[in-house]
Amino acid sequence: MRAYFSDIPRTLLAMGYWAFMLYLLVPLTLMMAMSFKDANFIAFPIGDLTLRWYSQVLHDKQFLEACLYTIAIAVATTFAATVIGVWIAMLIAQSGSRWSGILFALACLPAVVPGMISAISLRVFISTIDMPTGTGAIVLGHTVHAVPFVVVMALTRLRSMPPNLVDAARDLGADSIVAFFRVTLPYLGPAIAGGMIFCVLLSVDDFVRTFFLGGYRPTLPMLIFAKVQGGMSPEINAMATLVLIVTAAVGLYAEYMTRRSRSR
Amino acid sequence: MASIEAAQAELENGGPMPRYSTNISRIVNSRLYQLTLGAAVASRAGRLALLAAVPLLWLAFLHIGPIYQMAKISFLTSYPLQHGRPASYTLANYAIFFSESIYFMPLIRSFVFSLASTAITLIVVFPVAYYVAKIVRPDWRSKALLLLLVPFWAGELIRTFSVIMLLANRGALNFLLRDIGLIDRPIPMLYTSFSLGFGLIYLICLYMLLPLYSAIDKIPKHLLDAAADLGAGPFTRFRRIVLPLSRDGIVSGCSLVFLTCIGVFATPMLLGGPTNVMFPETISGFFHGASDKWPVGAAFALIMLVSALTTAGIFMRLVGGKATKLM
Amino acid sequence: MRDLTANRRTALRLLGGAAGALAAPYNIRPRPAWAQSNTLNITTYDKFLPAEFLDKFQKDTGIQVNIRLTDDQGKQYNLLAAEGANPSTDMVTVAGHRYTQFISSDLLAPLDTDKIKNWKNLNPAYQNAPWTRVNDKLWGLPILAGYEGLAINTSYVKDPQSWDVMFDPQYKGMTSYIVSDFMTIAMKYLGYDGDFVTYVDKREEAQKATNAARDFLIKHKDMVRKYYDAGSEVQQMFLNEDIYLAHSWSGPAAKLIAEGHPIRLSVPKEGTFGFCYTLNIVNHAPNAENAYKLLDAILASPEVGASMTRQSGFASTISGVPELLTDLERAANSLPQEQVERIVFFSSVNRDMKNEMIDKATAEVKAA
Repeated sequence: MRAYFSDIPRTLLAMGYWAFMLYLLVPLTLMMAMSFKDANFIAFPIGDLTLRWYSQVLHDKQFLEACLYTIAIAVATTFAATVIGVWIAMLIAQSGSRWSGILFALACLPAVVPGMISAISLRVFISTIDMPTGTGAIVLGHTVHAVPFVVVMALTRLRSMPPNLVDAARDLGADSIVAFFRVTLPYLGPAIAGGMIFCVLLSVDDFVRTFFLGGYRPTLPMLIFAKVQGGMSPEINAMATLVLIVTAAVGLYAEYMTRRSRSR
Repeated sequence: MASIEAAQAELENGGPMPRYSTNISRIVNSRLYQLTLGAAVASRAGRLALLAAVPLLWLAFLHIGPIYQMAKISFLTSYPLQHGRPASYTLANYAIFFSESIYFMPLIRSFVFSLASTAITLIVVFPVAYYVAKIVRPDWRSKALLLLLVPFWAGELIRTFSVIMLLANRGALNFLLRDIGLIDRPIPMLYTSFSLGFGLIYLICLYMLLPLYSAIDKIPKHLLDAAADLGAGPFTRFRRIVLPLSRDGIVSGCSLVFLTCIGVFATPMLLGGPTNVMFPETISGFFHGASDKWPVGAAFALIMLVSALTTAGIFMRLVGGKATKLM
Repeated sequence: MRDLTANRRTALRLLGGAAGALAAPYNIRPRPAWAQSNTLNITTYDKFLPAEFLDKFQKDTGIQVNIRLTDDQGKQYNLLAAEGANPSTDMVTVAGHRYTQFISSDLLAPLDTDKIKNWKNLNPAYQNAPWTRVNDKLWGLPILAGYEGLAINTSYVKDPQSWDVMFDPQYKGMTSYIVSDFMTIAMKYLGYDGDFVTYVDKREEAQKATNAARDFLIKHKDMVRKYYDAGSEVQQMFLNEDIYLAHSWSGPAAKLIAEGHPIRLSVPKEGTFGFCYTLNIVNHAPNAENAYKLLDAILASPEVGASMTRQSGFASTISGVPELLTDLERAANSLPQEQVERIVFFSSVNRDMKNEMIDKATAEVKAA
């Protein structure tokens, strides 16, 4: 009898999950469908279909270069932001309550500033320290923007960490660094993974900071924004669809590989 | 040098040096490590320096630095500075905010809207995160999570336009409703508070999902089973076990969503109507507008910053946990 | 380890030392890429300078051209203002309503037409247009011309003659406009001077006129579906039939017309304003000489103008361009003569007062 009742929330939750998936996927499916539209603007009804947008995008050297450049920036940003974010979170977690509040507010600062203002202030800032614009400045700008997300993710997990774990390691004679890498870091795993996903997404999506801090090599969002300026064409949808398919494939492949290596 | 000798002596005496798995012990016992990091963590000051130096530098330089530039501009009477004219400072830019209700209202609106969006996102996303973390079979779990992640790679602008294609007068939803005969003229759904909320949550729900997932994931399953064996119903189990144990996820998810919502400007504003003008749009009006009002815009940005961070801080203080020993 | 306060002094000392280390790499500064001699850096819109043209230009002159794509005038303005005397770009594309703003902020260098051999290829109407001169100097090469028109969906709206129709209750919730631009037109519609030319030193009169337009727009706020900013927004609203009527710059609407959509663009009897996009050389531009070479090449190659028109929808100011366009593309930009005569170009007089009052009123309309 009890099993029967406890199944009800389970079914409800499953329905909730799929309803949420619909919410996420239906609008995107519409955008993907538009990429086959044979006209210069997207709109319903779709009418005649064509593959010309795909062939145009796949032959577009600028698009492919922008993709690679975007990935390179995202990788560098994610690495830097994760290291620094976790480090800051460790510091905040161990500060006295008076300090932790101030440090936490400081750490979150860049997340709250609207993009345009953050971009302007970064641009003014890098001229005052005499740093040239370009890839380095872009990575720096993206990292500053992404750090708060890592800090928040790591910090909340740190706060729920059982205190005896590290003590136990220290009692066994591990020094602080070893204790951090062997105990704290593995415990932080899921939070760090989440934070890294945020870093990549924030970097890949960023337009305005990239424009202000470099920009002679377009990243993917710069290219897309520039194209939208001339009207929302199915070409843009074709670009987005390709990006989605490739990332989904990479994700599935990575998941498959991890599962296989685990089962061995 | 004394500390190195001490370390060497300890090594030779086979003193308190622990045994680790081979790779780690190779690093920890290497001379380089002993001379540098090993020596650093041996003393309290060294540990503190190691922990605090890089974060403090980063925060001081790169979090405060740019905002300091903005703050400086916000007190200027004019910007860019003219050659040969000394900068003069004023508080007038801040006074503008408090003297005119047309600037005050959008800030209130932004706060109400962001808080409401955060609450709705939490309610919508929590069951989804719980389902993936606890109910989906473990070997399907990463696939279920992956499926949730995929839509976010399309980019903010594309996702905003996808909401437009769904909700427009000639969007998919209106076509569907007309085809099944529920309506004969389109319902204007786009450019309303509804479409703005729909789109905003669509854009940022991941910031709620991942923290919640990581928090719920670590709730031990046997706790829930034990509670069920003791006769606790689903609701009691949720209230007494799941909710308290996922507190840290709720805190970080809500902070991230709230802070993002409040600072977000460009694309979600494509979805709002004439009565949904938010504070970031007011601010960027000063930067974008035809006349040069950087100082006023900077002052307004700082006002928003302080009020948003205070709100998030109060929330974390109320709901958040306590510090523990980590190193 | 838990309490930092006890060791604040240690921490601060450390901070000071490491700060120097962090800043060190910037002291040895590499020569920035944009300051190298044989390059030209341009900030402009996508597809404004066709790839074939750029390839040829680079081959002929040996100049390496770098393009920074932009989508919006505000970002471009803010970037240049932030960079001050060390701009990272040599040339920008400025829209008409920003022209005087860029000039008064010292962001542009005046053009010397003697250095442009092909200056004669510019349509004579623009060679000496009064609005291009500020302080007796020319600050940019006009490349595209447009106006603020009334765009309608012809399936639902019949041939309006007046801006009246934007306030016709029949179309409640079916109109859209850019607030700051439409404010000047509303002033004109109400019988005031929307361009503030006659309000020099008459603050009170100007404020009264602005307030009248502001109150009128607030009173009719329920007519509006959305206040928009970008051309792509108004295009999408027409296509999705979220609106039947809009105040629109001629370019975005002309692109819809050229594509065969049931849109018509007209100038109502109260009149409207015209403007040009200009190509400009940035003040303190490191490669100004190369920029002149590019301006010359653009005037000599009508296909560049044609590409700009196709991308933006605006009419070209360069001789020989219309011949390269299709009939539909040409028709999208043509108006009956009596409507052309209703277009007045934005002046360059009294901009500070205009910007200040219009901006304030815009914020008030949005917040209402």
